[in-house]
Amino acid sequence: MASVTAPSAVPGQLALLVPVGRDTYALSLDTVREVVVEPRVTQLPTAPPVVLGVFNIRGDIVPLLDTGLLLGLSPVMEQPYAVLVETPHGVAGLVATDMPLTVRLSESVGHSDMEGTTETYLVGDTRLAVALDIPTLLSPARISR
Amino acid sequence: MSPPDQTSEADFQRLFAAEAEGRLDTLVDQLLELEKGGSNPELVASLFREAHTIKGGAAVVGMPHVARVAHALEDLLEEVRRDRRAVDAPLIDAVLAGVDGIRTLIPLAVAGKDHEQAAFDAEQRLRLAVSGASAAEAPAPPAAAPPAAVAVQPPPPPLAENPPLRSEPGMAPPMAAASPAGASPIATAAGFEGGSSPPGPPSENAAAADPLAAYGGTGRSSTAETVQMPVHRVDDLVRLIGEASAATLRLGSALLERLGRDPSSLTEYRDLVRSLNELQELALHARMIPVMSLAPRLRRAVRDLARETGKQVRFETRGEDAEIDRGVLDRLADPLLHLVRNAVDHGIEPPDERRLHSKPLEGIIRLHAMQLGSEVVIAVSDDGRGINVSRVREAAGLTDASAIQMDDEAALYLIFRSGLSTATRVTGVSGRGVGLDAVRASLNAVRGRIEVRSDPGAGTEFRIAVPITMATLRCLVVHSAGQTFAIPLHSVRAVLPPQPSTTVGGRAMTMLDGRPVPISSLASVLGTGNGTDGPAVVVAGLTRSHALKVDDLVDQRDVVVKGLGELIPPLPAVAGAGVQPDGSILLVLEAAGLIERARRMESGDRASIAAAEGPQREQPAPHRAASILVVDDALTVRELQRSIFENAGYRVQVANNGEEALARMSEERPDLVLTDVQMPRMDGFELTESIRKQSAFANVPVIILTSRASDEDRRRGLEAGADGYIVKSGFDQGALLTAVERLLGAER
Repeated sequence: MASVTAPSAVPGQLALLVPVGRDTYALSLDTVREVVVEPRVTQLPTAPPVVLGVFNIRGDIVPLLDTGLLLGLSPVMEQPYAVLVETPHGVAGLVATDMPLTVRLSESVGHSDMEGTTETYLVGDTRLAVALDIPTLLSPARISR
Repeated sequence: MSPPDQTSEADFQRLFAAEAEGRLDTLVDQLLELEKGGSNPELVASLFREAHTIKGGAAVVGMPHVARVAHALEDLLEEVRRDRRAVDAPLIDAVLAGVDGIRTLIPLAVAGKDHEQAAFDAEQRLRLAVSGASAAEAPAPPAAAPPAAVAVQPPPPPLAENPPLRSEPGMAPPMAAASPAGASPIATAAGFEGGSSPPGPPSENAAAADPLAAYGGTGRSSTAETVQMPVHRVDDLVRLIGEASAATLRLGSALLERLGRDPSSLTEYRDLVRSLNELQELALHARMIPVMSLAPRLRRAVRDLARETGKQVRFETRGEDAEIDRGVLDRLADPLLHLVRNAVDHGIEPPDERRLHSKPLEGIIRLHAMQLGSEVVIAVSDDGRGINVSRVREAAGLTDASAIQMDDEAALYLIFRSGLSTATRVTGVSGRGVGLDAVRASLNAVRGRIEVRSDPGAGTEFRIAVPITMATLRCLVVHSAGQTFAIPLHSVRAVLPPQPSTTVGGRAMTMLDGRPVPISSLASVLGTGNGTDGPAVVVAGLTRSHALKVDDLVDQRDVVVKGLGELIPPLPAVAGAGVQPDGSILLVLEAAGLIERARRMESGDRASIAAAEGPQREQPAPHRAASILVVDDALTVRELQRSIFENAGYRVQVANNGEEALARMSEERPDLVLTDVQMPRMDGFELTESIRKQSAFANVPVIILTSRASDEDRRRGLEAGADGYIVKSGFDQGALLTAVERLLGAER
């Protein structure tokens, strides 16, 4: 799978901006399958806190993950959008708290230290977006934590 | 707990072949040494150990015929060891011939080639050498084995340690007395009326030579009317059709939602649904094979064991038309084999005992299959002595005081307990290590149930009920704390109306069939809510039951169960999920996981729940990281056990013999010791005694695992202070793990 080895977002490429709370993250369009509006989530008791539940995409059962908790930040309060991403271990949904938009990335303005992220990009005049490293972020081990 | 797949069994067989090669070389060297120097007890002991180790290894890697020859070799050397047999040329010849026999057999076994007859010949030669006869008197095997050859076999082990033949007063479900003709009243009473059928399909002889041929479909050639294809293609077909059906249902609800058209009013839609249903049925049918395709294998086992134990047994089958998914039948092969061997070994009496009770000398074992709705019921019945419930109760009572108070019917089911089966079945023609608990575990894996009925003096019947297919799962759907859940029907014992619970020893309990069952609300077990006053669903795991209170019972549904994917860690309480026609997801719960969770919650140990259900894929879960010291001088056995325990999440240390084990233990205290008996330098008994003498290890459970199952050995093991005594045999990790878990659980 190309998205496993390729960087998650590359300058000049199209990326999906994913708002999570007050932050914005960037995902390479190569890893994004689609965006689902208001996913109908079934809670999954006994699952780790980062798993908000499972939802049905055309007969497939897909987990919906709390993007905030996954990054070690505060949990999301609502789940109006789910960004479906491809991982080496299957498809997962990441919560976006506002409508994700596609942009063309400019040059990186710096490296991001946060685990599961790569570079920081300037989008618009003042907004920063941190690119997510999906294979690292969405490993079964990390989800189990 | 899934059994190791074919690959790993093959791997272990190759490992064993390499190890055995070395041991056979040693055996020959030592033998020639012995021939030169005459009597030498040490050398004889070493020879005996080598033979013993080969036997154990062969049994463990699933080479029963090799094990039998090695057993005969061991018996012969035992005679020498006990000075009952002089070391002379004929003896050396016989042992060498035995070694050569094993050397030839192992590659055949590894290659999966038929070597039963060759093994029989080699074994007979050794047996005759034991009794002092020359090879020239060898009988014409196999059917006409004369008493001379049989006499040296160990006597048949009795069920539950010699059940006496008195009748049990108060035996719960009274059954008709045995008719003089020997027809099993149990079978009739159980609903298997109908004409008797010829004893087995016509292809039986060919199939017996290659037992898998009849039921595996191997070796069949394609003709103009049949095509051969790999099973997975049929599986893919079934799966895709299932998905197409589900997609169609979703299309239907989309039509209704978006266009406001009721799809059932559209002829086109109805046609599509009908065609898909037919297609699904056809595809499922393509996976079906007759239950009786297993009969040749079972018949062969009955014949062999009857001959071995000197009993007369007729094997009858009925229900040739009952069909079942081959995936399910595959998983039934071992449990049925076990039940049938049990019936010969423990059920059917020897001819003179039958004569004493005015029964026909020939016992009857029946295998009956019939379809009942979406299940196939398979019964294995015999007209033997029946199960002695008092003895079962006594045996279980040693470890569980509550067993003594059980009524007969409840006590009868104690035979499925792991502790009991390992404790009472230490000798073993049929005791190939696979206890009835393992039978039940195998059945659980295919969502089956087992029932037993027994009438002292008249016979025993085991009935297995399994779903015809595992493509769908029949579930009870319930509401709990605002969510809908499906509970697989095969694990539902009962549904109780709302009722008050009582507290016994701090645990909330309710009564079911006169026995207390722990009760809690499903929502609290799952952590989704609090108590409720609704009805309770009593679910049964392998060993325990638990009542779960829910808000409402909704209905029963067939659910196409899917896994939750690789990203989510395994959740013991959730078996999977199904997509409903309206697009919602229905979670399917797992009884065993729920019960375990409820139990841990009662002990107020939330931390241990988290620990137990934590990541299991990336690292062993903390509660399972108990360490086990495996002591065995056979490399194959050690490695096999290491793989079994490591797969189950344990840490494993190994030692070659008792001395080495003690050295290891002084470095790191294991949580449990599993030891072989026969080992150089320090054997398993001595090791157990040494462990018990050291106060630091006083609480470390010790299980003795051996291929040599005599009462004397068992007594010695228990005297030495062992906590368990298990007879090892081919890939019976179910019983082994259960025993280990039980002992570790008790210690904790």
